[in-house]
Amino acid sequence: MKPGQPGQDEPTAAEELRKQIAAQFGRSLHIRTLDTGSCAVCEQEIRLLTAPHYDLHRLGFFFTPAPRHADLLLVTGPMVRAFEVAARKTYEAMPGPKVVVATGACALGGVYQSDPFVHGEVDAVLPVDVWIPGCPPSPLALLQGLGVAVGRLAEKTPGLEFIDGGGA
Amino acid sequence: MPLWFARGLRRGVVTTRYPARSDPSAASLPTPPAFRPRQLTVRAVDQMIAECPGPALSRVAGTLVFDAGACTACGRCARVAPHAVTPSGEFELASTARPALIKLIPILGDQR
Amino acid sequence: MNPLDLLYGAGGAWLAAGLAGLLAGSRRPGLRACCGLSALGGAAAAAGGGWSMVYGNTGLVTPGGGQTIAGGPLQLQATSLAGVFVALLGLVAVAIAWYAPRYHEPGRGTAIYLAAYHLALLACLAVLAAGGMVTFLVAWETMSLACYLLIVRHPRSDASARGAFWFLALSEIGFLLVVAAFVILSSKTHATALDAMAARAHLVSGGWLAAAFLLALAGFGFKAGLVPWHVWLPEAHPVAPADGSGFLSGVVVKLGVYGIALFAFRLDPVAGAWPGLVVMGAGALSAAIGILYAMRERDIKRFLAYSTIENTGIIVTAFGAAMIFHAYRLPALSAFLLIAGLYHVANHGCYKTLLFLEAGVVEHATGTRDMDRLGGLVHRLPRSAVIAFTGTLGIAALPPLNGFVSEWLIFQGLFQGFRTGSDLYGILIVLAAATLGLTGGLAIYAFVRGFGIPFLGMPRTRQAAAARETGQPLAGPGLLAVACVALAVGAPVMLAALSRTARTVTGVTLGPLLLPGKLTVLPAHADFSAFSPTYLAVFLVAACAVPALIYLAGRPRAASGPVPVWDGGMVSFKPRMQYSAMTFSAPTRVTFDALYRPAVSVTRASDDDPAGRSGPVHYEAQVTPIFERYLYRPVIRAVEWLADGVRPVQSGDVNLYLLYVFAVILLAYLLGAV
Repeated sequence: MKPGQPGQDEPTAAEELRKQIAAQFGRSLHIRTLDTGSCAVCEQEIRLLTAPHYDLHRLGFFFTPAPRHADLLLVTGPMVRAFEVAARKTYEAMPGPKVVVATGACALGGVYQSDPFVHGEVDAVLPVDVWIPGCPPSPLALLQGLGVAVGRLAEKTPGLEFIDGGGA
Repeated sequence: MPLWFARGLRRGVVTTRYPARSDPSAASLPTPPAFRPRQLTVRAVDQMIAECPGPALSRVAGTLVFDAGACTACGRCARVAPHAVTPSGEFELASTARPALIKLIPILGDQR
Repeated sequence: MNPLDLLYGAGGAWLAAGLAGLLAGSRRPGLRACCGLSALGGAAAAAGGGWSMVYGNTGLVTPGGGQTIAGGPLQLQATSLAGVFVALLGLVAVAIAWYAPRYHEPGRGTAIYLAAYHLALLACLAVLAAGGMVTFLVAWETMSLACYLLIVRHPRSDASARGAFWFLALSEIGFLLVVAAFVILSSKTHATALDAMAARAHLVSGGWLAAAFLLALAGFGFKAGLVPWHVWLPEAHPVAPADGSGFLSGVVVKLGVYGIALFAFRLDPVAGAWPGLVVMGAGALSAAIGILYAMRERDIKRFLAYSTIENTGIIVTAFGAAMIFHAYRLPALSAFLLIAGLYHVANHGCYKTLLFLEAGVVEHATGTRDMDRLGGLVHRLPRSAVIAFTGTLGIAALPPLNGFVSEWLIFQGLFQGFRTGSDLYGILIVLAAATLGLTGGLAIYAFVRGFGIPFLGMPRTRQAAAARETGQPLAGPGLLAVACVALAVGAPVMLAALSRTARTVTGVTLGPLLLPGKLTVLPAHADFSAFSPTYLAVFLVAACAVPALIYLAGRPRAASGPVPVWDGGMVSFKPRMQYSAMTFSAPTRVTFDALYRPAVSVTRASDDDPAGRSGPVHYEAQVTPIFERYLYRPVIRAVEWLADGVRPVQSGDVNLYLLYVFAVILLAYLLGAV
């Protein structure tokens, strides 16, 4: 699923797909995590989601190891080139409709640049639908990102400016 | 059921109510910076760009280009220019479009 | 007109088939003619056996008017107890007759093989229809020798000679013990006809009866494959041709069981419950040890041979418990367990022969019997896979097939051990039931491995990938698969026939205690449990139909297509990365290491490199089965030591021989003078 750039005319097909995803995954979502070469701190934050304090199960999200059972692929790491084949195979093993979420500064291209060993960003290999920044993204940020991915929460980034209005 | 029992149950539940309610622990999270355009000078911005360990900061003429997706919230830009940078407090940064994470901040500090 | 006439017809057909095979088996039409006659004989035997199950014992017949054989009278009689075995013999003969034309290549070796096979069939029929001791023993020995010729079909391979030798040696030792048992009974009752021996058995003193029974148990145990006399089974089965192995496991082993049943229920009524305990213990032990050693086997036929030992153990356990109940004056339960044991005989004959025939098909198609070289055969041999799967479901005793019915009957009989009133025997019977439970679980595990590794997954070698189904025999194993299903769904019919058999053998009429209605089965007591095999089969089929209907009636789904198997994202998945036969059974092997005592040797390229980075690591585990190590090897060594000690007598020196001659003449002179 690849929505169009913001500001352009969004084709209705992408809107339709997003509505379908919201309808199908809004109540129950199975997530498959994929580590493409990260330092594993993002994985620790992801693992915290199952702890009692954050408890993503109460929102209807579940982790599954089998891509055949997964709806959403949660990717961390800068996409090491050695992992490219496995990442593609995992993506192709997931039945449609499927959503790809890239999380962490590494996966968004913020830490490594493209070189002979690493792609630098997940978008170079897999079609990413939702980006979650952070280093690492806190579990709260991950929950918000997952909610945005299934259409349960509205995204806040278009409205953010990172400009501090007060003080001279 | 006695009130103290119900209160004890509520106090014993440690699960956060996020995203329905805000979580108090969010206040202590490291977050990307927010910039004060009037305090930003080209010299300060270039210093910040040199200090930033990643590609999050760059300058195009009189505009600071800030890639919130690439920011690791390390705080070095705030150390270099403390009067121009404060923590934004924003951690809900998920985006369905990558360009939406790239923000343009005008550098107004050189104008008098 | 009585069942014996049908058996005469069968015998005649098989004689003709044997001659046709011997004379014309070198060419394909002769092979087909031989097999056609064999099938006719099989049909006649099956019909005769089925009839004699319900007919009762015919009278003693001395054909040809006082004809003698090996110095004793030729006496024939079609008994009810033997009826199940004769029917099984006939069915197996038909299945093998339909299998053989596509399996064997016409030639001189095949001609001799066919002649030996039909001689074996005739001999088995004669054993089962024997009315007198001498007929029985002569037929028994003929059967052993004919089976030896079956096993040495390919005499040029070393393993073939070794396997056949084990079979013959243990057969002969067993025969010796059986002769001893018969001679004791016959001399004490002054009769050679089995009916007369049975009638006068109560006149024999308890000690002689017990001795005869133990000798018979040991002797027939050699043929039946009871532990520790089972050693020939895993040696002989792999080297015989597939239909020969099927015949051995399906019929010949059952003749050993028939012998034990003959002595236990007809000829040798030993007083007390201890003989039943011995039989039950031997059976339970055989069952457990059989399946435990089956878990280690990579060769499909050796694996099936050990499974035969397990099933023989189950049948003999049922017979032993029946003897105990008889001693405690519970004739209904005793008859019930006899019925359960005979039912398992019929079931095992069907599915074991089926599995051996399918092992032959697999070996034919791929050239190997090693499970670790096979894989993915369900796509290449689809119909054989379905037939083999039916046999696997049966032998794993999964509902709704026949194995489940007979094992349910045996378990329900054993669970009622408390009715004996004796604490000790009650506990021992429950212990036997627990052992059978263990073997049942291990059997499912073993047969998931036995079917899954060769048939499912991806082919592990090029030979497995090149297997083709065209030209493979299907009708023979297919007939046995149909028989398995029929024995399951038609259990009430089979049980009605077996209860008539039990009435003839034990005099007990179970009637409504076994089959109160048309379709329900009770374990000889109305307040214990109940079971309907027919309803179960129907229900299971219907239960599978419901999800299928929901699937077919569901809303149209998105277009889908085949995608590669999810292999964990590996860059290249090789078939060798699948489960192998030994890794699949590794948990059991590790748990029972105390029994297996493997001799493990690990060699590395260099001692200070445990991970094998500088060269390959070689791991080898050798298991000597426990009885071979502690029983047979010492005995063989003792015999060899004795022979070594005697060898100097035969030194080849002529002068020494002349001295012997002189000494003997002197001795004879002196003795004559005295």
